[in-house]
Amino acid sequence: MCLAIGTGMLASCGSAVPLYKTSIANNRISVPVSTFAQTDFQLISPEKFAYNIGLRKENDGTYTALLLRCTHHDNQLITTGNGYRCTLHGSQFNKEGQVTNGPAERSLKKYPTQVVDNQIIIQIT
Amino acid sequence: MLKTFTLSLLFSVIAVAAYAQQPLSAEDSLTRNLSSSATTVGGYGNAFYQNNSHLQSAKVNLERGVIFIGHKFNDKISVFSELELEDAKLASGESGGEISFEQLYLKFNLNANQYLVAGLYTPRIGIINENHLPNTFNGNERNYVETLIIPATWRELGVGFYGNLTSVPLTYSVGLVNGLDAGGFAHGTGLRGGQFEGRNASANNLAVTAAVQYFYKDFKFQVSGYYGGAAAVSKRKADSLGLNSGIFGTPVAVGEADVQWAADGFQVRALGTAVSIPDAEKINHAYANNTPKTEYGAYLEVGYDLLSHVKTQHNQQLVVFVRDEKFNLNAEIPNSGVTDGALNQNHVVAGFTYLPIRNVAVKADVRFIHTGDQNAALIVNPNPVALPYQTDYNLVNLGVAFSF
Repeated sequence: MCLAIGTGMLASCGSAVPLYKTSIANNRISVPVSTFAQTDFQLISPEKFAYNIGLRKENDGTYTALLLRCTHHDNQLITTGNGYRCTLHGSQFNKEGQVTNGPAERSLKKYPTQVVDNQIIIQIT
Repeated sequence: MLKTFTLSLLFSVIAVAAYAQQPLSAEDSLTRNLSSSATTVGGYGNAFYQNNSHLQSAKVNLERGVIFIGHKFNDKISVFSELELEDAKLASGESGGEISFEQLYLKFNLNANQYLVAGLYTPRIGIINENHLPNTFNGNERNYVETLIIPATWRELGVGFYGNLTSVPLTYSVGLVNGLDAGGFAHGTGLRGGQFEGRNASANNLAVTAAVQYFYKDFKFQVSGYYGGAAAVSKRKADSLGLNSGIFGTPVAVGEADVQWAADGFQVRALGTAVSIPDAEKINHAYANNTPKTEYGAYLEVGYDLLSHVKTQHNQQLVVFVRDEKFNLNAEIPNSGVTDGALNQNHVVAGFTYLPIRNVAVKADVRFIHTGDQNAALIVNPNPVALPYQTDYNLVNLGVAFSF
Protein backbone atom coordinates (compact mmCIF):
# COMPACT_ATOMS: atom_id res chain seq x y z
CA MET A 1 0.00 0.00 0.00
CA CYS A 2 2.87 2.31 0.86
CA LEU A 3 4.32 1.60 -2.57
CA ALA A 4 1.16 2.32 -4.47
CA ILE A 5 0.48 5.80 -3.20
CA GLY A 6 3.70 7.58 -4.06
CA THR A 7 6.73 9.05 -2.42
CA GLY A 8 4.77 11.55 -0.37
CA MET A 9 3.08 8.71 1.41
CA LEU A 10 6.27 6.66 1.48
CA ALA A 11 7.83 9.21 3.78
CA SER A 12 5.05 8.56 6.26
CA CYS A 13 5.40 4.77 6.13
CA GLY A 14 7.84 4.84 8.98
CA SER A 15 11.02 4.49 6.92
CA ALA A 16 11.81 8.09 5.97
CA VAL A 17 15.52 8.83 6.17
CA PRO A 18 16.40 12.18 7.82
CA LEU A 19 18.68 14.13 5.51
CA TYR A 20 21.03 16.93 6.46
CA LYS A 21 22.66 18.91 3.67
CA THR A 22 25.88 20.69 4.51
CA SER A 23 29.31 21.54 3.18
CA ILE A 24 32.88 20.63 4.01
CA ALA A 25 35.23 23.22 5.48
CA ASN A 26 38.84 22.46 6.38
CA ASN A 27 38.20 18.74 5.94
CA ARG A 28 35.47 18.92 8.56
CA ILE A 29 31.71 18.53 8.50
CA SER A 30 29.67 20.13 11.24
CA VAL A 31 26.23 18.81 12.20
CA PRO A 32 24.13 20.33 15.02
CA VAL A 33 23.46 17.92 17.88
CA SER A 34 19.87 19.17 17.84
CA THR A 35 19.23 17.33 14.55
CA PHE A 36 19.23 14.14 16.61
CA ALA A 37 16.43 15.27 18.89
CA GLN A 38 13.90 13.00 17.17
CA THR A 39 16.11 10.38 15.57
CA ASP A 40 19.27 8.36 16.07
CA PHE A 41 20.29 8.49 12.41
CA GLN A 42 21.01 11.23 9.89
CA LEU A 43 22.04 10.89 6.27
CA ILE A 44 24.64 13.59 5.74
CA SER A 45 24.89 14.97 2.20
CA PRO A 46 27.95 17.21 1.88
CA GLU A 47 27.85 19.58 -1.06
CA LYS A 48 29.94 18.45 -4.06
CA PHE A 49 31.04 15.33 -2.20
CA ALA A 50 30.89 12.08 -4.15
CA TYR A 51 29.35 10.07 -1.32
CA ASN A 52 26.83 10.49 1.47
CA ILE A 53 27.79 9.85 5.09
CA GLY A 54 25.67 7.85 7.50
CA LEU A 55 25.81 9.46 10.95
CA ARG A 56 24.39 7.44 13.82
CA LYS A 57 23.97 8.24 17.50
CA GLU A 58 25.11 5.36 19.70
CA ASN A 59 23.55 4.36 23.01
CA ASP A 60 26.51 5.81 24.91
CA GLY A 61 25.95 9.23 23.35
CA THR A 62 28.82 9.03 20.88
CA TYR A 63 28.38 9.33 17.13
CA THR A 64 29.53 6.99 14.36
CA ALA A 65 30.12 8.39 10.88
CA LEU A 66 30.32 5.91 7.98
CA LEU A 67 31.37 6.76 4.44
CA LEU A 68 28.65 5.27 2.22
CA ARG A 69 31.05 3.97 -0.40
CA CYS A 70 31.07 0.25 -1.19
CA THR A 71 34.42 -1.29 -0.28
CA HIS A 72 34.20 -3.57 -3.31
CA HIS A 73 34.17 -1.19 -6.32
CA ASP A 74 33.62 2.23 -4.70
CA ASN A 75 29.97 2.51 -5.80
CA GLN A 76 27.62 4.76 -3.84
CA LEU A 77 25.50 2.94 -1.27
CA ILE A 78 21.83 3.43 -0.60
CA THR A 79 20.35 3.50 2.88
CA THR A 80 17.82 0.73 3.51
CA GLY A 81 15.68 -0.13 6.48
CA ASN A 82 18.38 -2.22 8.13
CA GLY A 83 21.70 -0.90 6.81
CA TYR A 84 23.26 -0.07 3.48
CA ARG A 85 23.22 -1.76 0.10
CA CYS A 86 25.21 -1.50 -3.11
CA THR A 87 23.12 -1.95 -6.25
CA LEU A 88 26.17 -2.59 -8.44
CA HIS A 89 27.09 -6.10 -7.26
CA GLY A 90 24.70 -6.54 -4.34
CA SER A 91 26.99 -6.08 -1.33
CA GLN A 92 25.16 -5.33 1.92
CA PHE A 93 26.32 -3.74 5.16
CA ASN A 94 24.62 -3.51 8.51
CA LYS A 95 24.11 -0.31 10.50
CA GLU A 96 27.58 -0.71 12.01
CA GLY A 97 29.10 -0.83 8.52
CA GLN A 98 30.03 -4.51 8.68
CA VAL A 99 29.58 -6.67 5.61
CA THR A 100 26.50 -8.88 5.77
CA ASN A 101 26.52 -9.95 2.13
CA GLY A 102 29.42 -10.04 -0.37
CA PRO A 103 31.21 -9.60 -2.64
CA ALA A 104 32.55 -6.77 -0.46
CA GLU A 105 34.93 -8.09 2.17
CA ARG A 106 35.87 -4.99 4.18
CA SER A 107 33.75 -2.91 6.52
CA LEU A 108 32.79 0.64 5.59
CA LYS A 109 35.27 3.41 6.27
CA LYS A 110 34.60 5.08 9.61
CA TYR A 111 35.37 8.77 10.21
CA PRO A 112 36.35 10.07 13.66
CA THR A 113 33.77 12.28 15.33
CA GLN A 114 33.68 14.57 18.35
CA VAL A 115 31.14 16.93 19.88
CA VAL A 116 32.24 20.55 20.27
CA ASP A 117 29.87 23.33 21.31
CA ASN A 118 26.77 21.29 20.48
CA GLN A 119 28.16 20.52 17.03
CA ILE A 120 29.09 17.03 15.87
CA ILE A 121 32.37 17.39 14.03
CA ILE A 122 33.14 14.72 11.44
CA GLN A 123 36.79 14.70 10.49
CA ILE A 124 37.21 13.77 6.82
CA THR A 125 40.46 11.88 6.73
CA MET B 1 9.53 10.06 -33.18
CA LEU B 2 12.87 8.96 -34.60
CA LYS B 3 14.14 12.53 -34.42
CA THR B 4 13.00 12.88 -30.83
CA PHE B 5 14.91 9.82 -29.72
CA THR B 6 17.95 10.66 -31.78
CA LEU B 7 18.00 14.12 -30.23
CA SER B 8 17.58 12.66 -26.74
CA LEU B 9 20.49 10.32 -27.28
CA LEU B 10 22.59 13.13 -28.73
CA PHE B 11 21.70 15.35 -25.79
CA SER B 12 22.79 12.65 -23.33
CA VAL B 13 26.11 12.21 -25.09
CA ILE B 14 26.72 15.97 -25.26
CA ALA B 15 25.74 16.37 -21.59
CA VAL B 16 28.14 13.63 -20.56
CA ALA B 17 30.90 15.08 -22.74
CA ALA B 18 30.39 18.58 -21.34
CA TYR B 19 30.25 17.22 -17.84
CA ALA B 20 33.45 15.28 -18.34
CA GLN B 21 35.23 18.48 -19.34
CA GLN B 22 34.41 20.31 -16.12
CA PRO B 23 37.55 21.15 -14.16
CA LEU B 24 37.95 19.37 -10.84
CA SER B 25 37.02 21.50 -7.85
CA ALA B 26 38.74 21.46 -4.48
CA GLU B 27 36.00 19.14 -3.25
CA ASP B 28 36.64 16.84 -6.20
CA SER B 29 40.28 16.69 -5.26
CA LEU B 30 39.32 15.92 -1.71
CA THR B 31 37.02 13.07 -2.62
CA ARG B 32 39.47 11.80 -5.18
CA ASN B 33 41.91 11.30 -2.37
CA LEU B 34 39.42 8.98 -0.66
CA SER B 35 40.56 6.10 -2.81
CA SER B 36 43.56 4.04 -1.88
CA SER B 37 43.66 2.55 -5.36
CA ALA B 38 42.40 3.77 -8.70
CA THR B 39 42.17 0.33 -10.28
CA THR B 40 40.18 -2.53 -8.80
CA VAL B 41 40.14 -6.16 -9.80
CA GLY B 42 37.47 -8.71 -8.97
CA GLY B 43 35.76 -11.68 -10.45
CA TYR B 44 33.57 -14.70 -10.02
CA GLY B 45 33.31 -18.26 -11.22
CA ASN B 46 31.49 -21.53 -10.75
CA ALA B 47 31.87 -25.16 -11.69
CA PHE B 48 29.52 -28.05 -11.13
CA TYR B 49 28.81 -31.71 -11.71
CA GLN B 50 25.40 -32.55 -13.16
CA ASN B 51 23.67 -35.90 -13.45
CA ASN B 52 20.73 -36.00 -15.84
CA SER B 53 18.30 -38.82 -15.06
CA HIS B 54 16.67 -38.57 -18.50
CA LEU B 55 19.89 -38.85 -20.49
CA GLN B 56 21.34 -41.25 -17.90
CA SER B 57 24.48 -39.22 -18.26
CA ALA B 58 26.64 -36.93 -16.17
CA LYS B 59 28.94 -34.01 -16.94
CA VAL B 60 31.16 -31.62 -15.05
CA ASN B 61 31.81 -28.13 -16.35
CA LEU B 62 33.56 -24.91 -15.41
CA GLU B 63 30.48 -22.94 -16.38
CA ARG B 64 31.74 -19.41 -15.88
CA GLY B 65 34.96 -17.60 -15.14
CA VAL B 66 34.62 -13.82 -15.04
CA ILE B 67 37.19 -11.10 -14.40
CA PHE B 68 36.10 -7.61 -13.31
CA ILE B 69 38.43 -4.74 -13.88
CA GLY B 70 37.41 -1.25 -12.82
CA HIS B 71 39.36 1.94 -13.02
CA LYS B 72 38.49 5.22 -11.39
CA PHE B 73 39.83 8.16 -13.35
CA ASN B 74 38.55 10.42 -10.58
CA ASP B 75 35.62 10.29 -8.18
CA LYS B 76 33.28 11.36 -10.98
CA ILE B 77 34.31 9.12 -13.86
CA SER B 78 35.04 5.39 -13.80
CA VAL B 79 35.12 2.49 -16.22
CA PHE B 80 33.86 -0.99 -15.35
CA SER B 81 34.31 -4.24 -17.20
CA GLU B 82 33.35 -7.89 -16.82
CA LEU B 83 35.04 -10.29 -19.21
CA GLU B 84 33.52 -13.75 -19.21
CA LEU B 85 34.72 -17.10 -20.45
CA GLU B 86 32.02 -19.77 -20.50
CA ASP B 87 32.82 -23.49 -20.44
CA ALA B 88 36.50 -22.91 -19.67
CA LYS B 89 37.81 -23.06 -23.20
CA LEU B 90 37.17 -21.63 -26.62
CA ALA B 91 38.83 -23.56 -29.39
CA SER B 92 38.66 -23.21 -33.13
CA GLY B 93 36.56 -25.89 -34.76
CA GLU B 94 35.01 -27.08 -31.51
CA SER B 95 31.48 -26.35 -30.35
CA GLY B 96 30.78 -24.79 -26.97
CA GLY B 97 32.63 -22.12 -25.09
CA GLU B 98 32.19 -18.39 -25.39
CA ILE B 99 34.27 -15.40 -24.49
CA SER B 100 32.49 -12.09 -24.27
CA PHE B 101 32.22 -8.83 -22.42
CA GLU B 102 29.37 -9.16 -20.00
CA GLN B 103 29.68 -5.47 -19.24
CA LEU B 104 31.95 -2.64 -20.36
CA TYR B 105 30.77 0.84 -19.56
CA LEU B 106 31.75 4.25 -18.36
CA LYS B 107 30.14 5.51 -15.17
CA PHE B 108 29.63 9.20 -14.56
CA ASN B 109 28.77 10.12 -10.97
CA LEU B 110 26.54 13.19 -11.11
CA ASN B 111 26.38 13.50 -7.32
CA ALA B 112 26.19 11.19 -4.30
CA ASN B 113 22.77 9.94 -5.38
CA GLN B 114 22.72 9.86 -9.18
CA TYR B 115 24.92 8.51 -11.94
CA LEU B 116 24.93 7.78 -15.64
CA VAL B 117 26.35 4.72 -17.37
CA ALA B 118 27.20 4.54 -21.07
CA GLY B 119 28.33 1.46 -22.94
CA LEU B 120 27.54 -2.23 -22.66
CA TYR B 121 25.62 -2.77 -19.45
CA THR B 122 22.99 -4.99 -17.84
CA PRO B 123 19.77 -3.02 -17.27
CA ARG B 124 17.93 -3.54 -14.00
CA ILE B 125 15.39 -6.19 -15.04
CA GLY B 126 14.64 -8.91 -12.50
CA ILE B 127 17.09 -9.93 -9.78
CA ILE B 128 19.79 -12.01 -11.49
CA ASN B 129 20.44 -9.69 -14.41
CA GLU B 130 22.03 -7.02 -12.26
CA ASN B 131 23.34 -9.15 -9.37
CA HIS B 132 24.39 -12.54 -10.68
CA LEU B 133 27.35 -13.49 -8.50
CA PRO B 134 27.01 -17.25 -8.00
CA ASN B 135 27.62 -17.14 -4.24
CA THR B 136 24.58 -14.88 -3.82
CA PHE B 137 21.93 -17.25 -5.15
CA ASN B 138 20.95 -20.78 -4.20
CA GLY B 139 21.37 -23.69 -6.58
CA ASN B 140 24.23 -24.43 -8.94
CA GLU B 141 22.21 -23.27 -11.93
CA ARG B 142 20.62 -19.84 -12.14
CA ASN B 143 16.87 -20.06 -11.91
CA TYR B 144 15.32 -20.88 -15.30
CA VAL B 145 12.72 -18.08 -15.18
CA GLU B 146 15.53 -15.51 -15.24
CA THR B 147 17.41 -17.53 -17.82
CA LEU B 148 14.67 -18.20 -20.35
CA ILE B 149 11.91 -15.62 -19.84
CA ILE B 150 14.26 -12.80 -18.76
CA PRO B 151 17.38 -13.74 -20.72
CA ALA B 152 19.96 -12.94 -18.03
CA THR B 153 22.64 -11.88 -18.32
CA TRP B 154 20.85 -9.47 -20.68
CA ARG B 155 23.26 -6.77 -21.73
CA GLU B 156 22.94 -4.27 -24.55
CA LEU B 157 24.60 -1.05 -25.63
CA GLY B 158 23.11 2.19 -24.40
CA VAL B 159 22.83 4.81 -21.73
CA GLY B 160 21.39 4.32 -18.24
CA PHE B 161 20.48 6.82 -15.56
CA TYR B 162 20.44 5.58 -11.95
CA GLY B 163 19.46 7.39 -8.81
CA ASN B 164 17.98 7.14 -5.39
CA LEU B 165 15.89 9.40 -3.24
CA THR B 166 17.46 10.50 0.00
CA SER B 167 14.25 11.10 1.91
CA VAL B 168 12.99 7.55 1.39
CA PRO B 169 14.82 4.32 0.57
CA LEU B 170 13.77 4.26 -3.07
CA THR B 171 15.91 3.83 -6.15
CA TYR B 172 15.02 4.40 -9.78
CA SER B 173 16.66 3.74 -13.11
CA VAL B 174 15.86 4.37 -16.75
CA GLY B 175 17.79 3.25 -19.77
CA LEU B 176 17.89 3.59 -23.54
CA VAL B 177 19.49 0.63 -25.34
CA ASN B 178 19.50 -0.98 -28.75
CA GLY B 179 16.53 -3.21 -29.53
CA LEU B 180 16.35 -6.97 -30.12
CA ASP B 181 16.53 -8.88 -33.41
CA ALA B 182 13.34 -10.88 -34.02
CA GLY B 183 15.19 -12.82 -36.72
CA GLY B 184 17.35 -14.36 -33.99
CA PHE B 185 14.45 -15.71 -31.95
CA ALA B 186 14.44 -19.51 -31.88
CA HIS B 187 11.83 -22.01 -30.77
CA GLY B 188 12.11 -22.75 -27.07
CA THR B 189 14.74 -20.15 -26.21
CA GLY B 190 12.59 -17.09 -25.56
CA LEU B 191 14.23 -13.74 -26.30
CA ARG B 192 17.78 -15.02 -25.88
CA GLY B 193 18.62 -15.43 -29.55
CA GLY B 194 17.48 -11.88 -30.28
CA GLN B 195 20.15 -10.25 -28.11
CA PHE B 196 23.06 -8.43 -29.72
CA GLU B 197 25.18 -8.29 -26.54
CA GLY B 198 27.22 -5.41 -27.87
CA ARG B 199 28.34 -6.93 -31.15
CA ASN B 200 27.39 -4.92 -34.25
CA ALA B 201 23.99 -4.20 -32.77
CA SER B 202 21.30 -2.84 -35.01
CA ALA B 203 20.24 0.64 -33.98
CA ASN B 204 17.27 0.65 -36.32
CA ASN B 205 15.24 -0.07 -33.20
CA LEU B 206 15.71 1.16 -29.67
CA ALA B 207 14.35 0.05 -26.33
CA VAL B 208 13.61 1.79 -23.05
CA THR B 209 13.93 0.12 -19.67
CA ALA B 210 12.94 1.35 -16.24
CA ALA B 211 12.93 0.04 -12.70
CA VAL B 212 11.93 1.20 -9.25
CA GLN B 213 13.11 -0.41 -6.01
CA TYR B 214 11.81 0.27 -2.55
CA PHE B 215 13.32 -0.93 0.72
CA TYR B 216 11.22 -1.33 3.82
CA LYS B 217 12.80 -2.88 6.90
CA ASP B 218 13.89 -6.37 5.78
CA PHE B 219 11.98 -6.20 2.50
CA LYS B 220 13.10 -5.18 -0.97
CA PHE B 221 10.45 -4.58 -3.61
CA GLN B 222 11.08 -4.02 -7.30
CA VAL B 223 9.12 -3.46 -10.47
CA SER B 224 10.86 -3.20 -13.82
CA GLY B 225 9.99 -3.12 -17.49
CA TYR B 226 11.35 -3.15 -21.00
CA TYR B 227 9.79 -1.99 -24.25
CA GLY B 228 11.59 -1.94 -27.54
CA GLY B 229 11.49 -2.62 -31.25
CA ALA B 230 12.77 -5.91 -32.65
CA ALA B 231 12.64 -5.53 -36.45
CA ALA B 232 16.38 -4.74 -36.44
CA VAL B 233 16.47 -4.08 -40.17
CA SER B 234 16.04 -1.08 -42.45
CA LYS B 235 12.58 0.15 -43.29
CA ARG B 236 12.91 -1.18 -46.82
CA LYS B 237 13.83 -4.64 -45.63
CA ALA B 238 11.22 -4.60 -42.88
CA ASP B 239 8.58 -3.70 -45.45
CA SER B 240 9.67 -6.60 -47.64
CA LEU B 241 9.49 -8.97 -44.64
CA GLY B 242 6.09 -7.66 -43.60
CA LEU B 243 7.43 -6.32 -40.30
CA ASN B 244 6.75 -2.95 -38.76
CA SER B 245 9.81 -0.70 -38.72
CA GLY B 246 10.50 2.44 -36.72
CA ILE B 247 12.03 2.98 -33.30
CA PHE B 248 9.58 0.64 -31.60
CA GLY B 249 8.56 -1.33 -34.69
CA THR B 250 7.74 -5.01 -34.09
CA PRO B 251 7.76 -4.42 -30.33
CA VAL B 252 8.72 -6.66 -27.44
CA ALA B 253 7.50 -5.80 -23.95
CA VAL B 254 8.75 -7.35 -20.71
CA GLY B 255 7.29 -6.66 -17.28
CA GLU B 256 8.61 -7.93 -13.97
CA ALA B 257 7.97 -7.58 -10.27
CA ASP B 258 9.81 -9.17 -7.37
CA VAL B 259 10.10 -9.06 -3.62
CA GLN B 260 12.89 -10.27 -1.34
CA TRP B 261 12.84 -10.63 2.41
CA ALA B 262 15.56 -11.77 4.77
CA ALA B 263 15.54 -11.85 8.57
CA ASP B 264 16.50 -14.15 11.42
CA GLY B 265 18.12 -16.63 9.06
CA PHE B 266 15.13 -16.87 6.77
CA GLN B 267 15.32 -15.66 3.18
CA VAL B 268 12.46 -15.47 0.69
CA ARG B 269 12.46 -14.45 -2.96
CA ALA B 270 9.44 -14.23 -5.24
CA LEU B 271 9.42 -13.02 -8.82
CA GLY B 272 6.89 -12.86 -11.63
CA THR B 273 7.48 -11.81 -15.21
CA ALA B 274 5.70 -11.78 -18.56
CA VAL B 275 6.75 -11.14 -22.17
CA SER B 276 4.47 -9.84 -24.88
CA ILE B 277 5.28 -9.93 -28.60
CA PRO B 278 2.12 -8.60 -30.28
CA ASP B 279 3.54 -8.95 -33.83
CA ALA B 280 4.56 -12.59 -33.33
CA GLU B 281 2.43 -13.69 -36.28
CA LYS B 282 4.30 -11.33 -38.62
CA ILE B 283 7.65 -12.50 -37.21
CA ASN B 284 6.72 -16.11 -37.93
CA HIS B 285 5.70 -15.24 -41.48
CA ALA B 286 9.07 -13.50 -41.95
CA TYR B 287 11.38 -15.98 -40.23
CA ALA B 288 9.37 -19.18 -39.51
CA ASN B 289 10.91 -19.33 -36.00
CA ASN B 290 7.73 -20.14 -34.05
CA THR B 291 7.76 -16.92 -32.01
CA PRO B 292 5.07 -16.86 -29.30
CA LYS B 293 2.80 -13.92 -28.54
CA THR B 294 3.12 -14.36 -24.80
CA GLU B 295 5.55 -15.96 -22.37
CA TYR B 296 5.43 -15.89 -18.60
CA GLY B 297 7.29 -17.19 -15.60
CA ALA B 298 7.32 -17.00 -11.82
CA TYR B 299 9.17 -18.52 -8.90
CA LEU B 300 9.08 -18.60 -5.15
CA GLU B 301 12.11 -19.55 -3.08
CA VAL B 302 12.32 -20.06 0.66
CA GLY B 303 15.58 -20.66 2.47
CA TYR B 304 16.85 -20.88 6.02
CA ASP B 305 20.39 -20.54 7.32
CA LEU B 306 20.89 -23.34 9.82
CA LEU B 307 23.90 -21.51 11.26
CA SER B 308 22.17 -18.16 11.66
CA HIS B 309 21.98 -18.52 15.44
CA VAL B 310 25.30 -20.32 15.83
CA LYS B 311 28.44 -18.31 16.43
CA THR B 312 30.94 -19.55 13.85
CA GLN B 313 34.30 -18.41 12.60
CA HIS B 314 33.95 -16.17 9.50
CA ASN B 315 30.15 -16.10 9.86
CA GLN B 316 29.66 -19.37 8.04
CA GLN B 317 26.26 -20.06 6.51
CA LEU B 318 24.48 -23.29 5.70
CA VAL B 319 21.33 -22.45 3.80
CA VAL B 320 18.75 -25.10 3.02
CA PHE B 321 16.29 -24.00 0.39
CA VAL B 322 13.46 -25.01 -1.88
CA ARG B 323 12.34 -23.16 -4.99
CA ASP B 324 9.30 -23.66 -7.18
CA GLU B 325 9.69 -22.36 -10.75
CA LYS B 326 6.84 -22.21 -13.25
CA PHE B 327 7.21 -20.89 -16.79
CA ASN B 328 5.67 -21.22 -20.22
CA LEU B 329 7.65 -20.15 -23.28
CA ASN B 330 4.61 -20.42 -25.53
CA ALA B 331 1.74 -19.38 -23.33
CA GLU B 332 0.02 -17.84 -26.35
CA ILE B 333 0.91 -18.77 -29.91
CA PRO B 334 -0.29 -16.85 -32.99
CA ASN B 335 -2.04 -18.58 -35.90
CA SER B 336 1.28 -18.82 -37.69
CA GLY B 337 2.89 -20.79 -34.81
CA VAL B 338 2.77 -24.28 -33.33
CA THR B 339 2.24 -24.93 -29.62
CA ASP B 340 4.80 -27.14 -27.87
CA GLY B 341 3.72 -28.51 -24.53
CA ALA B 342 7.35 -29.23 -23.65
CA LEU B 343 7.86 -25.49 -23.20
CA ASN B 344 5.33 -25.39 -20.37
CA GLN B 345 7.42 -26.43 -17.38
CA ASN B 346 7.38 -26.67 -13.62
CA HIS B 347 10.65 -27.14 -11.73
CA VAL B 348 11.11 -27.77 -8.04
CA VAL B 349 14.67 -27.24 -6.83
CA ALA B 350 15.82 -28.21 -3.35
CA GLY B 351 19.24 -28.32 -1.77
CA PHE B 352 21.75 -26.48 0.33
CA THR B 353 24.37 -23.79 -0.02
CA TYR B 354 27.30 -23.83 2.38
CA LEU B 355 29.37 -20.67 2.64
CA PRO B 356 32.53 -21.15 4.72
CA ILE B 357 33.08 -17.44 4.06
CA ARG B 358 30.65 -15.13 2.32
CA ASN B 359 32.55 -15.13 -0.96
CA VAL B 360 32.81 -18.89 -1.39
CA ALA B 361 29.94 -21.34 -1.80
CA VAL B 362 29.67 -25.11 -1.92
CA LYS B 363 26.36 -26.12 -3.40
CA ALA B 364 24.27 -29.25 -3.76
CA ASP B 365 20.80 -29.39 -5.21
CA VAL B 366 18.38 -31.52 -7.13
CA ARG B 367 16.05 -30.12 -9.79
CA PHE B 368 12.82 -32.03 -10.40
CA ILE B 369 11.49 -31.14 -13.84
CA HIS B 370 7.98 -31.65 -15.14
CA THR B 371 6.98 -30.56 -18.64
CA GLY B 372 3.97 -30.85 -20.89
CA ASP B 373 3.93 -33.27 -23.81
CA GLN B 374 6.28 -32.65 -26.70
CA ASN B 375 4.58 -31.77 -29.99
CA ALA B 376 5.84 -34.42 -32.41
CA ALA B 377 4.95 -32.18 -35.36
CA LEU B 378 7.89 -29.96 -34.42
CA ILE B 379 10.43 -32.77 -34.88
CA VAL B 380 11.28 -32.33 -38.53
CA ASN B 381 14.45 -34.43 -38.60
CA PRO B 382 14.16 -37.03 -35.82
CA ASN B 383 17.43 -38.31 -34.36
CA PRO B 384 17.32 -42.12 -34.77
CA VAL B 385 19.20 -42.67 -31.51
CA ALA B 386 17.30 -40.08 -29.44
CA LEU B 387 15.72 -41.32 -26.24
CA PRO B 388 11.92 -41.08 -26.02
CA TYR B 389 10.84 -37.70 -24.60
CA GLN B 390 10.19 -37.78 -20.86
CA THR B 391 7.91 -35.29 -19.16
CA ASP B 392 9.43 -36.01 -15.73
CA TYR B 393 13.12 -36.22 -14.92
CA ASN B 394 15.65 -34.67 -12.58
CA LEU B 395 19.07 -33.08 -12.47
CA VAL B 396 21.44 -33.60 -9.55
CA ASN B 397 23.99 -30.80 -9.21
CA LEU B 398 27.10 -30.52 -7.03
CA GLY B 399 29.42 -27.57 -7.35
CA VAL B 400 31.48 -24.69 -6.06
CA ALA B 401 31.31 -20.95 -6.66
CA PHE B 402 33.12 -17.79 -5.60
CA SER B 403 33.27 -14.04 -6.11
CA PHE B 404 35.59 -11.32 -4.92
